[in-house]
Amino acid sequence: MKRLFFALLVLGGSTLVHTAEVPKPTLSFNKDIRPILSEYCFACHGQGKSKGELRLDSFAHFIKAGASGEKAIVPSHPETSQVITRIFATERKMVMPPPSTKKTLTNDQKETLQKWIAQGAKYEKHWSFEPIANIKPLDKTPYAIDSFLLERLKKNGMKYSSLADRSTLLRRVSFTLTGLTPTVQEMETFLKDKSPDAYEKMIDRYLESPKYGEEMARHWLDIARYADTHGLHLDNERQMWAYRDWVIAAYNKNQPFDRFIVEQVAGDLLPNATLDQLIATGFNRCNVSTGEGGSISEEWVFRNAVDRTSNFTEAFLGLTGGCAVCHDHKFDPITAKDYYSLYAFFHSAADAALDGNQLLLPPIVKLALPQMKKNAEEINNEILAHRMKMLEQASKLTYEDPALKPAKSETKVTEDVWFEDEFPKGSKVFASPGKPLELVDNKKGKVFSGTKAIRRIDAGLAQDVCENMAPVTIQKDSVFFAYVYLQDNKLPKSIMLQYHSTNWLHRAVWGDYNAIAWGAANTTERVNMGPLPSTGKWVRIEVPAEKLGLKQGSIINGFAMTQFGGTVLWDKIGITGMKDPSADPAKSFLAWWKQQTGRDFSEADKDLALLIKQGPEVVKAKEQIAKVRAFYLANFCSLTKSEIDPLRIKLEELTKKKTTLEQSLPGTTIFRELPTPRDSFVMLRGQYNKPGEKVEPNTPAIFPPLKKSDPKVRATRLDLANWLVSPEQPLTSRVMVNRFWQQVFGTGLVKSSGDLGTQGELPSHPELLDWLASDFRDSQWNVKKLMKLLLTSEAFQQSSRVTNELILLDPENRLLARGPRIRLDAEQIRDNILFTSGLLSPEMGGRGSMPYQPSNIWEPVGFTGSNTRNYKQDTGAGLYRRSIYVFIKRTAPAPFMANFDLPNREALCAKRERSNTPLQALHLMNDTQHFEAARKLAERLLIESANDPEKRIILAYNIILARSPSAEETTIVMEGLQKHLARYKADPIASSKIIRIGESKFRDGLNEPELAAYTMLANTLLNLDETVNRN
Amino acid sequence: MHPFIENQLLQTRRQFFGSQGLKLGSLALGMMMAQEKKAHAEVVHKPLFGLPHHKPTAKSIIYFHMNGAPSQIDLWDHKPILKDFFNKDLPPSVQAGQRLSTMTSGQARFPVAPSKFNFTQEGKCGRWINAELLPYTAKVVDDIALIKSVFTNAINHDPACTFVMTGNEVPGKASIGSWLAYGLGSENNNLPSFVVFTPRFPDGSNGQALFTRMWSSGFLPTRFNGVALRGTGDPVLYLRNPEGVSASDRRTMLDTMQKLNQKELQQLGDPEIQTRISQYEMAFRMQSSVPELTDLSTESKRTLEMYGPNVDVPGTFTHSAIMARRLVERGVRVVQLFHRGWDQHSDLPKQLGNQCKDTDRGVGALIMDLKQRGLLDQTLVIWGGEFGRTVYSQGTLNNQTYGRDHHPRNFCMWMAGGGVKPGISYGETDDFSYNITKDPVHINDLNATILHCMGIDHEQFTFKYQGLEQKLTGVEHQRVIKELLL
Repeated sequence: MKRLFFALLVLGGSTLVHTAEVPKPTLSFNKDIRPILSEYCFACHGQGKSKGELRLDSFAHFIKAGASGEKAIVPSHPETSQVITRIFATERKMVMPPPSTKKTLTNDQKETLQKWIAQGAKYEKHWSFEPIANIKPLDKTPYAIDSFLLERLKKNGMKYSSLADRSTLLRRVSFTLTGLTPTVQEMETFLKDKSPDAYEKMIDRYLESPKYGEEMARHWLDIARYADTHGLHLDNERQMWAYRDWVIAAYNKNQPFDRFIVEQVAGDLLPNATLDQLIATGFNRCNVSTGEGGSISEEWVFRNAVDRTSNFTEAFLGLTGGCAVCHDHKFDPITAKDYYSLYAFFHSAADAALDGNQLLLPPIVKLALPQMKKNAEEINNEILAHRMKMLEQASKLTYEDPALKPAKSETKVTEDVWFEDEFPKGSKVFASPGKPLELVDNKKGKVFSGTKAIRRIDAGLAQDVCENMAPVTIQKDSVFFAYVYLQDNKLPKSIMLQYHSTNWLHRAVWGDYNAIAWGAANTTERVNMGPLPSTGKWVRIEVPAEKLGLKQGSIINGFAMTQFGGTVLWDKIGITGMKDPSADPAKSFLAWWKQQTGRDFSEADKDLALLIKQGPEVVKAKEQIAKVRAFYLANFCSLTKSEIDPLRIKLEELTKKKTTLEQSLPGTTIFRELPTPRDSFVMLRGQYNKPGEKVEPNTPAIFPPLKKSDPKVRATRLDLANWLVSPEQPLTSRVMVNRFWQQVFGTGLVKSSGDLGTQGELPSHPELLDWLASDFRDSQWNVKKLMKLLLTSEAFQQSSRVTNELILLDPENRLLARGPRIRLDAEQIRDNILFTSGLLSPEMGGRGSMPYQPSNIWEPVGFTGSNTRNYKQDTGAGLYRRSIYVFIKRTAPAPFMANFDLPNREALCAKRERSNTPLQALHLMNDTQHFEAARKLAERLLIESANDPEKRIILAYNIILARSPSAEETTIVMEGLQKHLARYKADPIASSKIIRIGESKFRDGLNEPELAAYTMLANTLLNLDETVNRN
Repeated sequence: MHPFIENQLLQTRRQFFGSQGLKLGSLALGMMMAQEKKAHAEVVHKPLFGLPHHKPTAKSIIYFHMNGAPSQIDLWDHKPILKDFFNKDLPPSVQAGQRLSTMTSGQARFPVAPSKFNFTQEGKCGRWINAELLPYTAKVVDDIALIKSVFTNAINHDPACTFVMTGNEVPGKASIGSWLAYGLGSENNNLPSFVVFTPRFPDGSNGQALFTRMWSSGFLPTRFNGVALRGTGDPVLYLRNPEGVSASDRRTMLDTMQKLNQKELQQLGDPEIQTRISQYEMAFRMQSSVPELTDLSTESKRTLEMYGPNVDVPGTFTHSAIMARRLVERGVRVVQLFHRGWDQHSDLPKQLGNQCKDTDRGVGALIMDLKQRGLLDQTLVIWGGEFGRTVYSQGTLNNQTYGRDHHPRNFCMWMAGGGVKPGISYGETDDFSYNITKDPVHINDLNATILHCMGIDHEQFTFKYQGLEQKLTGVEHQRVIKELLL
């Protein structure tokens, strides 16, 4: 028992245990004292809040007298130290902590404080804020890590376990570096290789696999909080998978980790930033965002910046900054001002506060994929050729410029009709809302002129919209008009005409002004035209363009007729205006050219564009004028429009195709800054509308100061990024090394890998951590080298066998007297069954895939209007892609993720849980994906092995566990197999069902009952505890 | 077995129901429960050491979350004087420059929309209520403590829902159900301690989104996530064997697998292996007992009639309501029903009517059912949304229809049973149901009161995360509303 006790004490770190059991050690402030002060005292006597003017969180403060004039701590003199007097006091008024806090110190804790003061009250800065110590390992690489661990074990009278067998090691390494089990071939290669460096070579092989990047990246994506939806309210899709793919590629090419950090924090600010460096800044666009109607923009500017700041401090500094949003951090020395100075780096983000539920909320970059590039080029060429054809035809047209006519025609009122019996060619017509468009003739309804009119019957709000018509320029005194027919017994509440310029905010309403409550009332967005027109006859209704905010020269390209209820007939819709044809650019070539002089035309080729730009005053050569004239006639002249229209419509189609293609080019959200930065302030009590003191971008005062690239201007995010990876920075390297250690060994050297601050746990091996951190930093942040260093340690290669003695001495395996044994992560479990069954798709990157999922995972929670309300399961290869490529909907994660502890990516997750539940058992036994994989694996066993059950069992073990079964295991499996064979031979119907689970086809010519029985065998082995663990 | 391993086992067995999926509420009861009781005296969902802090007045809670924000003015907060203000502007002194949602902040005027419904006084307590829409709830008003003065910090759905359930607008915190499951465990070894329903809601209602974070464990271990019982398909995800695999095939498979796992356990000695062995056995038992448990044939005809015609249709509100009773009857700690569609920005009278019709009978029946069985005394029932609605109309206003925007400054919730004073009303609002005039109750106060009923002092109920002693009730307000309690 005594021995156990000793071990606990050593391991305990912050746990305080009797010191009587061991010879009087010198107490350490960080290890023994700070945890007590932090837990019991800092809340009132910490930073920012200092009851009785006493602070206990820094040495300078705690040796000073408080308000009472008495000194809290007098080194070496507990008897005169107020702290001691007060904690031992019995009077309610005197005792600390006060009874109202409901916190009481134990006697041990009181004695510890007393003893520490007696020993001289030596103060230490929190360990992780101290510079990384320059440590020399007791032994050289590859034994350096072991030298630290063994020294510690020796002190505790413990030693390493024996090495794990080679199969176990192979599988352990393969999972650690690629997230997958070894192939049979990899197993044979390794087991055959008897050379002394076989293990190292095997590691190198996995480090070179593209699957390495996929495995490493998923850990980082937990930090970045990457997902494929916005996360709040509608939770619509967000496109930024290029960022995910960038992370994978960065690991695969072993990008130095300092660059990896700098590009994510400030890639956009690097000189001549590459596309990849811009994509990397997606890191700061991974925060959840909202587009909820009614949200207040300023609030979300603030909240997005807070999210990014807090994520920054946790991701790179391993500190929890969240508290300082509202007040000075009472535990860590980060003041609210420090926090908001960091926040100032992210506060001027260029993305809109509200995401508008957009797939690609700017700023974004577009990604050109090779095939798409080719298609775009083809269409471009086609468009060019077509334009040439139009010019050719236009040059042959007969045309007389009204401006050059001897007798100038007079200014007259012109009338352009947009709708007579049909809408303008090339325009887009639709109903929104309402039933599809209805055109009636005189038999069915009433017509004002021509042969057809529009009729709309609706109980509520309904609308006919015409969009994308050829642009119309508003003239002086332009008046919109339309003919309308209403009937007494079918009156609408109101009717409305509406026009589109750059927006639809031009409306004229007749009848109940509030029935169609669109646009700000009593502005040009909604003009009150008085009562409904008379009934029982066609009435011309008119509204001057200017009244709707459309001045001379404005351009419109759409109109709409709206009604609330009733029956409305519309006919002859258009515009009138005062026009002098010789001055009308739509009719006079000269007028047009004068108007366009000085402008650039992208539709024209370079030479032609120059001619247009130079204008009629400069261009005098006949040939050149003819060229420009053809261009005018082909594209702009209304007099010759009908002759050129067939060609023009074709051009529109081509252009549309081009636009569609461009829009279908995937993009990714990136981080950029506003041209003029926002002023940042300490926000009082974390409220978005309560600014306090103004702050400049800066780093927390406790750290080495920020070096500005240009001392004259404000600090940039690039300065911040460079500061993170500067050699003096004590935290970045420690945080990263600790996370890689956690990835490899299951638990970090600092167990609370998300918190290296004063509230986090102390490192189990501080010297080892510092040595690794400095070595990593000095190796140009070489991740592959670090991974190899960890994997070649003897600690990693030990057997994971646990004895009762080991469990008692070190239940959490913090001292590593045995190898790590870890339940596989969610992605590894799913990928592994796909891999062993041969179903896994090798495709890398791209939009998130949608594998098998039971119905009603998304639907019961999804917002009605969300584009991720209904799950659209993929077919074919999309079902079988690696889990890192599975689409993550934040508000309803896939069951395989939720059941196996994948975080929902709303916030950073530094360490996943590893639960063990009956729901997981049901999942692994019955999920279609898992069962189909068992069936495909069974096929492999039947095809790839000789027709011998024993050989097939061996192959199954080889494939799944990279080892051969023992004789006893073979017997057990064989017994089960025989039972399944007997059962399925007797029940062909059951057999035929079982081999049809899942989408993939089964191989022809196989014996169905046999395939069924082997499917059950595969299902058995895929569910083994050994299979779902990295042993 | 070694005492340490035994202890470990006990710990890991608590992980029973991980993060998702146990759907249809009544897990392995009958047979399994009896079996378990005999076999092990151990408790699967153990309470935290030191809990409860004091003698609880409620053992379980059933929480109806009416998602989208039901209009307090049209259901509970009777304001007869508003008839005189029809279509008149809301006096500026009432609104007093307070923050509005940007959905109506641009409106040119704020015309008052009195409720078009007739309120009546019901029960011995004479509670004013819209009995036209809530006829069944009206019958149980004598069991209800109405709070007219609840208020919240958030003005939009997402943050407000997150706030009402986790005490914080920012995602990532633990939900109230997870807190209770974490602190108090559950008396039932075969059911999760925290069960969630997301029943269907009427077509045509404005359904806002739900978020799993409303029942997620946040920073607490994931095994305290609410387990959503599903209304369609398998009540528990992946409960059924694939087609062509019978129960005895599954047994054969498990026998083989467990023998191999046992061998591994002997070799490696990791207690987690023993846990996995147990979890597979539990999974197998669930496969036979869950279907029995969702079987309502043991309910009396009278009871079923009380809940109404859809009681036997999984996925309906009323089915979820009777399942809630069956769950608390079996010792489950927290049951939450998240009913959507209460966001009436327009066409409120009609849509609100549909919403009430979908839920009122189930709510009334549940209270009566619990009472008849003597369960109401130990079950705290809570009803409410995430905020209230404005007195002024959004969009069209006439004597037939109107809409209402979000209103965080006051709204109505009610509680019943489990130590709550029956038949009382608490808190007052002004004539426009726009400002609280007496006895405000913040969401943190309400949650503190709920914890209090469950035997928990919210001040002492903390979990260390991100360097902070996290509490459900945050850092401000938080007062147990003793006036509501017996």
